[in-house]
This record gives sequence, C-alpha cells and structure tokens, in this order.
Amino acid sequence: MAGIKLENVDKIYAGGTKAVNGLNLDIRDGEFMVLVGPSGCGKSTALRMIAGLEDISGGTISIGDRVVNDLPPKDRDIAMVFQNYALYPHMTVEENLAFGLKLRKMPKAEIQKRVLEAARMLGLEQYLKRKPAALSGGQRQRVAMGRAIVREPQAFLMDEPLSNLDAKLRVSMRASLNQLHERLGVTTVYVTHDQIEAMTLGDRVCVLRDGLLQQVDTPQNLFDSPVNLFVAGFMGSPAMNFANAELVRGDGGASVAFAGYKLPVPEKIFADKPGLDGYFGKPLILGVRPSDFDEASNGNGDWARMSVKAEVTEELGSEINVIFMIDSPPVEHKDTAALAQDAGEEEDVTALPLAGDKSMWTARVNARSHVRPGDSVELAVDTNNLHFFDKESGLAIGHPANR
Amino acid sequence: MTSIPEPLPGARRAGVPADARRRREFSVFSGLSHVALAIWALMVIVPILWTFLSSFKTNTEIFGDPLTMPADYSFAAFGRAWDKAHIGTYMINSVIVVFFSTAGTMLFGSMAAYVLARYKFFGNRFIYFAFVSGMAFPVFLALVPLFFVVKNLGLLGTHTGVILVYIAYSLPFTIFFLAAFFKTLPTSVAEAAFIDGCSHTRTFFSIMVPMAKPGLISITIFNVLGQWNQYLLPIVLLPGNVEDKWLLTQGIANISTSAGYQADWASLFAALTMAILPVLIIYIIFQRQIQAGLTAGAVK
Repeated sequence: MAGIKLENVDKIYAGGTKAVNGLNLDIRDGEFMVLVGPSGCGKSTALRMIAGLEDISGGTISIGDRVVNDLPPKDRDIAMVFQNYALYPHMTVEENLAFGLKLRKMPKAEIQKRVLEAARMLGLEQYLKRKPAALSGGQRQRVAMGRAIVREPQAFLMDEPLSNLDAKLRVSMRASLNQLHERLGVTTVYVTHDQIEAMTLGDRVCVLRDGLLQQVDTPQNLFDSPVNLFVAGFMGSPAMNFANAELVRGDGGASVAFAGYKLPVPEKIFADKPGLDGYFGKPLILGVRPSDFDEASNGNGDWARMSVKAEVTEELGSEINVIFMIDSPPVEHKDTAALAQDAGEEEDVTALPLAGDKSMWTARVNARSHVRPGDSVELAVDTNNLHFFDKESGLAIGHPANR
Repeated sequence: MTSIPEPLPGARRAGVPADARRRREFSVFSGLSHVALAIWALMVIVPILWTFLSSFKTNTEIFGDPLTMPADYSFAAFGRAWDKAHIGTYMINSVIVVFFSTAGTMLFGSMAAYVLARYKFFGNRFIYFAFVSGMAFPVFLALVPLFFVVKNLGLLGTHTGVILVYIAYSLPFTIFFLAAFFKTLPTSVAEAAFIDGCSHTRTFFSIMVPMAKPGLISITIFNVLGQWNQYLLPIVLLPGNVEDKWLLTQGIANISTSAGYQADWASLFAALTMAILPVLIIYIIFQRQIQAGLTAGAVK
C-alpha cells in the first residue's frame, strides 16, 4: 500500500482544452479519497492520469515513493474499476479474476487461492463458471471489484463504479464498498458526480470544477464550511439557498437583510469568520442550508423566525421539503450558473417557471409537520449556521483557506 | 410473412374505407415484393440445379433436349473429372492456397485494422485511406505490373506468389470492414487489460480478437468465397507450364477449352458441382454470422 501524490498536474488536450489545471492532491496511505464534481470537471481525467491511461501534460504523479509519470499502467501496481465494468466477455468469472494474476506469472495454487478468497468475500462463488453475459448488473459490478481485489495492488482506482446500477442496489453496494475498504485498507481514489456517494464513502472529498481544485476536506467540513459558492451549492441535497443580502447594524446587534427579511447574526459568527465585520453596508451573498430550517412550533425558541408561504411540498416520508418564494432575484454568479447548468444536464430539478424577481428556497422540516402547498408557515432558522459569500469572488467570507 | 397491424379501436371508428385502403396497399406491396423475391430465387436456384443435373447427363442429352431430366444418375462424369481432368489435384491446390491466403489476410488485416482503428498517430488516416483506396482499383488495371513484380520476385508459377497476391488483394476490404468493427468495441475493456498487465500485442490477441469474433468470422467467410472463386489472378500467375500447380477454376476452364468442340460437358458440370459444394456448405453453416457481420459495422 502507498499514498498517491499529485503535484501541479496539468492535462491539456490537443486543441488547447485544459481538462486538469495545476492539481495538487496528497492522498494518504489507506485513505478513501473521492473526486467529485459536475460532468466535465476533469475528475475522470485526473483518475485516468493516475492509472496511466492518459498522458500527463505537466507536473508529477507519484505512487508510494515512485514517480510514475512515464510508467505504463501495468507497472504502476494499481487496479481500476470501470463504470461499465469492462469485463472480458469471452472469459468466465474465474478467468476474469485470474487474468491479471496469470499475466504476472503467479503460481497456479496462489492464483486459485486468491480467486476463491475474493469470490467468497464478494459472494461470487456460485458464479465462477459463468460468463459475464449471464450475470446481472450487480454481479458484474462485483466481478469488476473482484478483479481489482485479487491483484492486491497499492491502490484502487474507481471510475463511477456504481452509476450503472439501479438506485436500491447502489445504496447496498455503497455500504459494501465502505465495508470492503474498512477491511482491506487499500488506498482508494473514487470518482463520482453523485455528492451523496461522495459524502458517504469518502474519508476526504476533493471537489473539482473546470479542472481546478476547489476544496479538499472531510465530508462534514465540506458541508459545514464550504470554501466558495460552488462547493456550497454542490454539496448537500437539497442545495443551499442563496440570496443577495446586506449586513446591517441595528439596536440589538448585527443582522442580515434580504428580500424583506431580517435575520440576526450572532456574535459567534463574527468571531468564527474574521473579515466579516468589514462587510457592513456592503452587498454580499447569504447562504442557508435547507436543514437549518425548522418549523417554529417545534420549540426552538432562540432561533430567528421567517414567515413564508409554501408553494410546493415534497414529502419524503421522514421529512418534508417546503419550497417557497422570496422577493429577491436569483443570485447570479458564475459559480451558481455552473451549478444550474450541471443540474439541467442530468435532470430537470427546477422545473418551476420563475418570475424574474423571485427566487426559490427550500426548507427541510420534520415530517410531523402538516404543511400543505399554499399554507403560510412560520419557519425557524438556525442563525449559527449562516453562510456568507463575497459577491464578486464567490469565496466564503472568513474561511481559513480564503484568509 | 406479412403481418398487418391490428388497427386501433379509434382508427376503426375514424372510417372503414381508409382502413381498407391501407390494408390493400399493404397487400399490393407485399405481393409485389414476393413476386420479385420469387423471381430472384429462381434466378439463383435454377442455374445451380441445372449445373447439378447436367453433371449426370451425357453430351447428347445436354445438347439434345436441355429441359429433360438425366436418363440415369451415374457418377461417371464425376469420376472422369476427378481422374482425367485432375480436378482432385486442383482442388487440393485451391484448398492449400485459399487456406494460407485467408489465414494471412485475417492475421495482417485484423492487426492493421486494430491499430488504425484504435491508435492515434501521425499518418494514421493516410495509411487507412491508402488501404481503402485499394478497393477502388480494378484488378485488371494492375494485372500486367503484377505479373512482372511476381516474376521478378521469382515467384511466378508458385503457390507462394499466388498466396501473397491474394493477401494483398484482399486486405483493403478486410481492413475497411474490421476497422469499423473494432471501433464499435468498448475501449474500456482494452484499458482494463492494460491495467491487468497486458502488453499491446497481448491485449490484441487475448482480448480484442475474441471480442471481435463475429466480425472476424464473417470477413473470413467473405474472403474464402472470394478467393476460392478467383480466376483471373491464377491464370496470370500460374501459367500453362506449371499445370500441376493450377487451381480449381483453371482446371474447370481447361475442360471446356482443351478438347475444343469435343469437350466433355458432363464432366465440366461435374467439376463445377464439386467446386460449388464446399462453398455452398460453408455459406449455409455460417449464414447467420455473415448476416450479423454485415450489419455489425454499419449500425453502431
């Protein structure tokens, strides 16, 4: 096992497109690192460069202590799991698993032992004599995992391995992947565009956008203190609510005013976010997580209040997403534009036709609530978790990385 | 084999005449196509049957009353063709030549097609188009230079010469077809093989070739058929002084030309039958693969 280190790695395609731009990433030994970002952000390219399937245009990549820039894939001692599994269709499961070992001239008994061990671990024993065509999607996925496991490589590279599975299977495979990593402890680099996969699997998550590294941190830190508007909007579902706002000083202390609402800003936030006090009277962007809302009747006395009219409610069983309008035009920033574009590509999330001067906010409330579309609701906001972003740069104000 | 779609309940209410008209159009169209197909089938089957039947007739029967059935079904003509006209030798020659030339064509063709389809390098397109433009060359055009090239190589009148020319002559279509086929195969399987530890050569032979089997089979059959029936090239490359090296097609033609008006037409037909049968059998066995292969390159 070994760590993987990327230093100033560039990838420039013929034609001048920069897919990866000066990427620095230090993946520790045994760590589960998730690369996440919208499509076209360079995450797969970065993974393929680590694997050796793409040339590196600049910088160095090292696995363990070896610089692997010019090594072919087979000499890098890595194993890769592909999105479409890439099993050898003319070989049985057993031969698929054994192929990599045979090429390495391993003794037959050892191959047999490792194949059986991996098959047992993945529950593939009864399928060993079958060909991939006779397996279900989930079974093929496990064979692809098995092919990586038997090699006992320095690192696993996974390129969206779960994205071809149906939703339910994906959740259970996610859990078994977690277990597997726990058990084998092999350094893993995992590429996905699904932020839930990123949050649940990663020891650390690396958010990429347009080939540029945005932030690397533990999932919780990414969620709690995103470095800029893009990360804030990308991580978390439903996405963070944004509004153009202004910091004002009043009698009872500081507060933030937006769309006719006024929320008090606790002193603690100013202490946590140095530099925020310089924004009084200046426009900035306010961010509120849907999960920082609750119904006012739920006994959260010290939280600030917001009266809204529920336009749509999404009942998810354990909670309800209340969608409401605020009287403020949607925040226009290159970061949020990139997010909207990405969401539009995959599925139409915001299908509501919006009037130009309104923007849509989401609040997540307890399922015991009886909010129905059209109702007026009194919401409580946890003001300790307000996020503030610079209107020009989109950077989180007072974030350690931006100081 | 026509299926007339069940009209929707709504359509029926919309008006019976329209429905009936559509049905009539269907039957007229399918009727005409059946007539066309029947004519085509006759055009293919009748000459073959005629050839088969004629091999059992005598010269008198063939010229006297061509439409009657043979008087008795004896294999005498087959024996004469086999012994006197040396069809046996020629057939073995043909088998040897076609075996080696097809094997060579497939080996070199698939390797070239794979590289041209999968690897980016300077001149890739140029080489590809150079190969493919070979398809536009009629073989007649190259006949005289080809004769001298083979002669200067000292391969005139040898099977090696014929085999090499056959390979060169079959490569353009083979590469054109297989390059399109290799392009449709997923790249990630080859990448998985690289990561598993395969060299490029190993990836090609142990992963890509098995995956390309349907395409390889159909183009192999195509080449076997084409090379088996080749007449023009052997007649130039295996001249009269090496009669023992002749191929089947030359042998058959020789039956009709050698004796002038006294030709043994029955054994000519017998020889033809013997030449047709192996090809027919191959075609019948592999017709499914040929169909699959023909559409494989076109529809991604």
